[in-house]
Amino acid sequence: MTSLAQSPLAGVGRLVRAVAPSTPLIVFLAMFAYLGMASSNFLEPSTMALVLKQSVPTVVVCLGLATVVMAGGDDVVVGGIDLSVPATAVLAAAIIADLVSNHAMFIGYALLIGVAAGVVCGLVNAFLVVFFGMTPLLATFASSTAFIGISKVVTASRRINVGDPLIVWLRDGSIFGVPAGVICACLIAAVFYFVLHRTRWGLNLQAVGGSRDAAEMSGLSAARFIAQSFVIAGLVGGVASAFVLARGSGWTPGTEENLMMEMVLATFLGAAFSPRRIVTLWGAVLGAVLVSALSVGFGSVGIDIFWTGCIKGSLILIVVASAALSRKVNA
Amino acid sequence: MSAAASPGKADTVMRVVEALLRQSFLLVMLACFLFFAFYNGAFLSLGNITNILEGSAILLVVSLGMTLVVAQGGIDLSVGVALDFGSAFAIVAMRDYDATWYVAILCGLAGGAIVGLLNAFLVVRLSVSPFLATLGVFFIGGSVQRIFTHGGGPISFRRLPLQYYDIAVGDVFGIPMKIVIGVAVLAVFYLLLERSLFGKRFHAIGMQPSAARIAGIATNAYVALGFVVASMTCAIGGIIASANLRMFTPLAGNAYLMQSIAAVFIGASMHPRGRPNVLGTAVGVLFLSMIANGLNLMGLDFNLKDALSGIILVVALVFAIAQRRLKH
Repeated sequence: MTSLAQSPLAGVGRLVRAVAPSTPLIVFLAMFAYLGMASSNFLEPSTMALVLKQSVPTVVVCLGLATVVMAGGDDVVVGGIDLSVPATAVLAAAIIADLVSNHAMFIGYALLIGVAAGVVCGLVNAFLVVFFGMTPLLATFASSTAFIGISKVVTASRRINVGDPLIVWLRDGSIFGVPAGVICACLIAAVFYFVLHRTRWGLNLQAVGGSRDAAEMSGLSAARFIAQSFVIAGLVGGVASAFVLARGSGWTPGTEENLMMEMVLATFLGAAFSPRRIVTLWGAVLGAVLVSALSVGFGSVGIDIFWTGCIKGSLILIVVASAALSRKVNA
Repeated sequence: MSAAASPGKADTVMRVVEALLRQSFLLVMLACFLFFAFYNGAFLSLGNITNILEGSAILLVVSLGMTLVVAQGGIDLSVGVALDFGSAFAIVAMRDYDATWYVAILCGLAGGAIVGLLNAFLVVRLSVSPFLATLGVFFIGGSVQRIFTHGGGPISFRRLPLQYYDIAVGDVFGIPMKIVIGVAVLAVFYLLLERSLFGKRFHAIGMQPSAARIAGIATNAYVALGFVVASMTCAIGGIIASANLRMFTPLAGNAYLMQSIAAVFIGASMHPRGRPNVLGTAVGVLFLSMIANGLNLMGLDFNLKDALSGIILVVALVFAIAQRRLKH
């Protein structure tokens, strides 16, 4: 209030602002240091392999979200975001699980149908956002409620076990000692990297995300790229369903909430690794692995599973608050 | 775009289309009403109509809280958490601390206020966008409830004070208490948000935050106040729910989240300038409650009903927002 009290406060404010951009990284490092000390086997290779295996579904859905953010811009309100990728994955997984386990369909056809369902979900989002002009946040949040509702109709809200050899191979198989799921995720990430960073289409898409007006003025149709990004996210959701089924050995109701939490946390945490603090593919992948490491670490230390929402929710807030604060400083 | 060619004509066409669309929501509502009425005779009985009104009380108060936040340009995904906290604080105060009924109500409101204060801190102090801030609170709030109840089991308290139980089952001159509370909160919100300088300032902040600040409105204080009042209003919903079931059911509030958002946007679509408004929200709530009740009477499978109402919500939102887009 008085000038006397103000000066130390201003000093604290300056310190907060200087540290703010790297807060998420500091917090994560501190957590890993704690986990490494509290649990003797956290840093062992077998745990690390488990971390990578567990991270596969999150990595894949993060690639979808990152694409949408890269096409729509990283403004959380009017920019691109797709909260429905996990719901899409869970819906596609429900369809595949139902077809394979209850109707004895060949897994290849079932996967195709699941991926097609994912594309349809993406088309719905593209329509809601581009054609009807809904805010991406609201549109994808609402559509994910509908997708989850449909998945409950498909499965009658009951767990479905999937023992198909392909799904089991995705879970347990390995090539030259590397888990199969991890190899698949690496391949998918490589495809994304190539398409988004090494093709004309991908660079145009990034240009639209960087500055919509500038892209429009140089003759690119922003609406087209944004619509395409949502369809790709839907496709990714459809593909992720196979890994969701593999991680859970089948379909379990309520998987989407944790997946959504991990996806949002990982993708926006990833932005903290980029020099310009924007959402990137590699950032999202790295973020997903870190988030998965946290989940595995909490498990090995014996932290109650009910706490995960609390911890991950707080981390999301720390990440987005530090991003907002550092943007405020730069502005 | 094409308006530039023949502004006068296109303008008139747009205005007619717009007016038709705005009225058409009421037509859709009427059509649904008639459909349910013909499908099942019980739908139109006085008992069922009272049922619909009573059943919409909780959604109404939650949606009014949401209206306030959306009017000031934000969104609140933590309404369900505020509702659950309201219900939990009140029930625990009575069960574990022998609180009297009015102290319990105050405790419930305080529970809601905690959620609102957290939102306000995140949005105003840390300048996190309302969506992400309240999404984080949504996750944390759910987790806190699971921790508190050791996994999500309900906390029941059968020996409720009669006065507290009356919040849900009592009546005033024969009018069910839930309807009385709903109408009272509706009236307060209508006067505050639509008929006072105070409300005008909220709308001003929602339309043009920088202009509102330049005009001398303490925008930060208003935004913070908006979040706290909204959460406390949701807590009223929680208090009604806990009195009704005589227990606190963890995570029960989440069911109202999408519905309240839909109600607000349906209401906004009926406003001439597309603004969220109290009376429009009330119509939106009635529409959603009517659909829920009608689907119930049709005796559909629980999961199918869930999916249908999810799809209806998306369609209603599309409808509401497509109209707003037509205006621009």
